[in-house]
Amino acid sequence: MNVIYPLAVPKGRRLVCEVCEAPAERMCTACTVTYYCGPVHQKADWGSIHEKICQLLIPLRTTMPFYNSEEERQHGLQQLQKRQKHLIEFCYTVAQKYLFEGRHEDAVPAALHSLRFRMNVHGLSSVELVPAYLLLAEASLGLGRIVQAEEYLSQARWTVLKSTDCSNATHSLLHRNLGLLYIAKENHEEARYHLANDIYFASCAFGTEDIRTSGGYFHLANVFHGLNKMGLADTLYTKVSEIWYTYLNDHYQALLQARSQQTDLLGKQFVNDTGLDEAQEAEAIQILTSILSIREPTSSKAPQKTVLVLKTLSILYYLMLECSKAKEYASRALSLTEEHLDVQEQSVIKELLNIISIEEEQPLT
Amino acid sequence: MTSGETRSPMSAFPPVPVTRTRLAILAREKLPCSPRTIPRAQLIKEKDDIDHYLEKNFKGLSKEEVAAHRNSYKKSICVEMLRDGYHKSFTELFALTEQWDALRRAAEVRSLFWLQRPLEEQPDKLDNFYHYLTRAEAAERQEYYEEVYNNLYALACYFDNPEDKWVRNHFYERCFKIAQRIKFDGGKKEAEAQAHMGLLFEEEGELLEAAQHYEAFHELTQGRIWKDETGQLLNLLACESLVRIYRLLSDRMLENKDYKQAIKILMKASDIAKEGSDRTMEGEAALFLGSAHLAAGEYETALTVLRRYSEIAESVGDDLNLGKAYEAIAKVLQSQGQTTEAIEYLEKFVKIARNNFQSLDVIHACTMLGDIYNEKGQYSTASEYFQQAFSTAVELMKTALMDETKVHYGIARAHQMMMTMTNYIESADLDSLNCLLSWKESRTQIKYDPVLGLTRRATEDDIYHYPDTQEEITRSPDNQ
Repeated sequence: MNVIYPLAVPKGRRLVCEVCEAPAERMCTACTVTYYCGPVHQKADWGSIHEKICQLLIPLRTTMPFYNSEEERQHGLQQLQKRQKHLIEFCYTVAQKYLFEGRHEDAVPAALHSLRFRMNVHGLSSVELVPAYLLLAEASLGLGRIVQAEEYLSQARWTVLKSTDCSNATHSLLHRNLGLLYIAKENHEEARYHLANDIYFASCAFGTEDIRTSGGYFHLANVFHGLNKMGLADTLYTKVSEIWYTYLNDHYQALLQARSQQTDLLGKQFVNDTGLDEAQEAEAIQILTSILSIREPTSSKAPQKTVLVLKTLSILYYLMLECSKAKEYASRALSLTEEHLDVQEQSVIKELLNIISIEEEQPLT
Repeated sequence: MTSGETRSPMSAFPPVPVTRTRLAILAREKLPCSPRTIPRAQLIKEKDDIDHYLEKNFKGLSKEEVAAHRNSYKKSICVEMLRDGYHKSFTELFALTEQWDALRRAAEVRSLFWLQRPLEEQPDKLDNFYHYLTRAEAAERQEYYEEVYNNLYALACYFDNPEDKWVRNHFYERCFKIAQRIKFDGGKKEAEAQAHMGLLFEEEGELLEAAQHYEAFHELTQGRIWKDETGQLLNLLACESLVRIYRLLSDRMLENKDYKQAIKILMKASDIAKEGSDRTMEGEAALFLGSAHLAAGEYETALTVLRRYSEIAESVGDDLNLGKAYEAIAKVLQSQGQTTEAIEYLEKFVKIARNNFQSLDVIHACTMLGDIYNEKGQYSTASEYFQQAFSTAVELMKTALMDETKVHYGIARAHQMMMTMTNYIESADLDSLNCLLSWKESRTQIKYDPVLGLTRRATEDDIYHYPDTQEEITRSPDNQ
């Protein structure tokens, strides 16, 4: 019974496609509150976000049950709000993760959901809508739909401009996406301006050496790389890899220390943790691998820099519990150091490799 | 929210053909509002064109100008840096402004009144930051470390005022780090940087650290003929700084009564001063060493060192230092109890000070002389010297000094009169009693009769010009 007939829908009630808002012809049988214009969009939505939130949508889209008291009603409303807020964040993170993984097509439905819930909760002209607009813009950019991306960005920019209490983090995101837009449009002048703004705002919000600021540096580096200003791009890439290395290495060292101190207490194992959410992990992988691919051709000239990236990647994968990849990067780093660098560096990497292989042999239950 | 691309094909119908009059078509073309059939993409493109056109042909505000009005100057500067990829400069500037905030907050906690304006509100300073930091970074990228150093040093110099001392210190530290990478100039920059670091620590009162840096500075400049901007030899500068810092260190040790260490350090200082081949400095080092020996109670060594000092001063023809030397020697002699020699030296000192119009020294020397005579019991000479000291102080119009000398003078006069008084009292005859009574009446005149009633001189002056010899005679029974 997943087919519905638009003409049979009661008058005044409009069932629209979850993805494109066209009149609906199908319904999700699992939750029965989500409609689609056709199997294509249903499949797209299912693959992107619906599978994860299908059941969560039911309480949001059915009418509220009858409450006996005002108190209960208030409570119910609060619950609803909470659910919606949770969904906003969840959809947002999922979409972000898709974006960093390069699955732009998949990101669109998730981002749309985030945007829709935001509209419900915060109203149409709230700054809260901006992150969702930005996601959509980024997805559109990834799909090569520059005009559409610009549309979203203009929307976001206007919202930010009108609001008086926009956080630095939002400003930073907006400028980052504007920068990406102008990169796509090959307007490097503008792109640099916006990315500079991005870094400035991100620094105000998180500090200059934060992983959340590193994205701005990375894109700026890409611009300079595209402009063939290798020296500039190089220092920026170094900066980005250093930021990530410091962050991940801190986590790694903390983990090792915690293990060495309390390993036999209740036999409790410490779970590897990057301290990042999925989107940030995806971002880290994307940034670091692309830096690596840039570094690799010149690794004989400046092995130190390549080794740093390899080491960072290895630690990252190790913390993400993907030991085989961690091992691969670590051994690549080792072979590079054996060729070019001193013993001290080698021993550091050997130690890392050791720890990874121990982990590999005894996988956590 | 979604555009035509994701929309299913059934929603996009071809436009319905409508027959229109010619005028209607024309009007449609001319009318500002566009028909719905134009895709949004085209609209956006047109808007871009319009923007571009407006920007070019109308002298309104450009995007940069708008940004400049909307944003703070600090932000504009930061963005300007980042645009050209000067991320290190940005980081540095950003860190500095944050540090400023932290300083202010700390001051607020201690509820100090914070007068400084924030860096953000001082565009000229920000401009300087931009100028030098970006140039330094560009040079660093190309590994011209000397250029980097020069730029950073220029910044440090620019912030060399009491308000921005912390900024200057920051750049001194940066200079120091960079200077260690400059190799081909033989370490001149490094030496300079060491000197700055030394100065930095000296100002903060961390003398040991400062001494370390100055030592490094000295070592680096040894045997070199480098000169600084003012044409001074760096080596000489190093010696001077090192001697100064050693002196401060030894002062601190003397305060803690750690004489051995102090003397050790001052010996080092005088060695270095000798090396610096600047006689004045050498002399000064000797003076301090001498004083330290004196404080430690090693009078003989102190004397030899100080004699050398006076020799040096004499050979240079430096009266000031010669005076100081005499003073120091006199002090040593005084504490040894050789008062006559001490007086000799002090008299020389007074003469020199007089000749050079060093009123403070004159006062000092006269007071010392007065003290010695006081101790020896030659009260009239003592009061004479104290009077000299007092009148010089009056000339100088320094109340504190005046008060001090006044007291000394008064005490000496009292001592002087005491003798006569006791004589009168001891003699216990009518005349003496009368004399005492009349003195008590007026408190100004007292008649003195050395041989008890034989000759009575009535003038006040006479009392004060009591011959020393007689004083000695009268005192002699007590002394024995």
